[in-house]
Amino acid sequence: MTFQEKEAKLSAGAVKYFVGGDGPPVLYLHSGGGVRLASKPINDWAESFKIFMPVTPGFDGTPFLDGVDSMQGLADLAGEFIDTVIGGPCDVIGYSFGGWTAAWLAVLHGGKIGQMVLEGPAGFRPDGAVGLASDPAEFVKQMYAHPEKIPEDGKPEETVAHNRKAMGHYHDASPMDKALVARLGEIETLTLILHGTEDGAIPEESPRLLKSLIPRSFLVYVYDAAHVMEIDQPERVSLLVRDFLTRAEGFLVNWGDEAAGLDAAAATA
Amino acid sequence: MKFAYFHLMPYTESPEHTQDWPVPNKRFDPRTGEKLYNAYLDNMVYAEECGFDWVGCNEHHMSPFGMMSNPNLIGASLIQRTTRIKIAMVGNLIPLLNPLRVAEEYAMLDVLSGGRLVAGMFRGIPHEYVAYNMAPSESYGRLIEATQLIIKAWTEPEPFGWEGEYYQYRAVSIWPRPIQQPHPRIIMSGSSPRSAEIAGRFGAMFGIAQLKTFDDARNLIDIYRESAKAHGFDPKPEDVLVSLTLSLAEDADEAKETLTNGRRFFAEVLGGGLRTAQKLVLQKTRYYGDEMKGKFVDARKSAQISVDDLLDQGTILCGTPKMVVDQLKHVHAAMGHGVTNINMKVGNIPDETIYKGMDLFKDQVLPHVRDL
Repeated sequence: MTFQEKEAKLSAGAVKYFVGGDGPPVLYLHSGGGVRLASKPINDWAESFKIFMPVTPGFDGTPFLDGVDSMQGLADLAGEFIDTVIGGPCDVIGYSFGGWTAAWLAVLHGGKIGQMVLEGPAGFRPDGAVGLASDPAEFVKQMYAHPEKIPEDGKPEETVAHNRKAMGHYHDASPMDKALVARLGEIETLTLILHGTEDGAIPEESPRLLKSLIPRSFLVYVYDAAHVMEIDQPERVSLLVRDFLTRAEGFLVNWGDEAAGLDAAAATA
Repeated sequence: MKFAYFHLMPYTESPEHTQDWPVPNKRFDPRTGEKLYNAYLDNMVYAEECGFDWVGCNEHHMSPFGMMSNPNLIGASLIQRTTRIKIAMVGNLIPLLNPLRVAEEYAMLDVLSGGRLVAGMFRGIPHEYVAYNMAPSESYGRLIEATQLIIKAWTEPEPFGWEGEYYQYRAVSIWPRPIQQPHPRIIMSGSSPRSAEIAGRFGAMFGIAQLKTFDDARNLIDIYRESAKAHGFDPKPEDVLVSLTLSLAEDADEAKETLTNGRRFFAEVLGGGLRTAQKLVLQKTRYYGDEMKGKFVDARKSAQISVDDLLDQGTILCGTPKMVVDQLKHVHAAMGHGVTNINMKVGNIPDETIYKGMDLFKDQVLPHVRDL
């Protein structure tokens, strides 16, 4: 799949974004690692959806924007992106740091989004839980169940380190966003929460808390995946999200062979 | 030392030799089966009176080898007739089953029994994979994933889904949840180094299902302990179970003759068809990986070893109460385990003989080995 690089003129400044695919629009909010155009799930989804991936200001070599310096500020920026670039409500996928932004987006601008997927969202780590390791080898263990799948043509170390640092521009490094937790019950968006069974970065209490507080939500464990589940288990993540975005609550039902026919019908509708 | 009383529930009333697999069920008379089930249940219930700490059920399919195709049904029956003894499922054959059904049934047993369940997560012996048309090569992968899913089903307070390699569920929230928290104690068997490693990984109890040699068992226990420690669990003696055959009588020769006859019936009648299927699995698949060939040779040899040879090896309990006390102390000194699993119903050994042995165990063996 080829993604085009574009620039959106928003009230706070210019925001770089990538767009590709065909179908109903989906806003993808990337993780602290930045945009990964080679992600297999993203490319799979682009076969059924038009994927919009804004680069969070300060990530992947882009500048920060004046006045956008909080998670709420990022959510406002995403809301304006939906209005300005996509032109109307869309589904949202938020991964890790992007999941945190997506949850704020659902609280502050719920009317702009249809369904939401939170992949290992950050921002909900209970007090006392183990944080991200400073030791590189330990960090890799926290993030990957299958480090052998890490793409060799990944981002330069310098960019990765810069992106990790950029997250600090938007929050005070507290593991739990208590202001957001207090408002999760306001989310009316149908939400799918994904968590890797081997996730060493986000403890299981986090997705469990989200599931208990977001009224219309589903929690699915992705087996044999750590935090970077799109690399550890791309097929499972791809299938789950596509099924959820396509069928909403109906994704609970095993449609068997019928699913293939309905997918084809949906694609030609 | 704690003691488990294990029973295979063999169908002993059809003494023909056979190598067929599956064993034709025209040989099973349901009315005879009814009598056997009730007699065996009475005997297993009696284990509580004899001071045993656990009573063990297990799962086997499509042969007279064992009539517990679903051991949970037997466990449920035992729960109604006992008050103290732990109900040990050793075990459900996890890779062959729907893991959510196992989670539910085990939770039911735990609630019904007031928290007396010991939850076995077993891979099973090779012929079961023919019976249930399951690829033997998937056995380890299914065991690991299913066990993780079962634990999740027991412990997760919120409804959840599971997207796995072998199992996919979108909406799970089992009723009932188990009484024991965070979940019932798990036991896993270890007849291969990989099984031992997996048991340690889960912080489960570790069961040596068949004590072949002390060196072999110690090696497996070492692998289990190392794996457990690497995963944050430090096993104690009570986390290791060793299974032993027991033949007990006032007269040593009588005990030996009883066991010799029972083993012959087991090898020639109960195990014939099973060996045929096992041979197919072990020769045609990588059930044991690189250990396959050795395992098959061992299985054939073990049927030919005499009771005297086994006594010399110290891997069997047979003789007078005093002899058995010494034998148990010897095994304990070698293994350092905390639970001994005892099987007295070998082949067609008559139930009256077994009851006499159980009484001797209660009165003349248990008082001398309880504090090991």
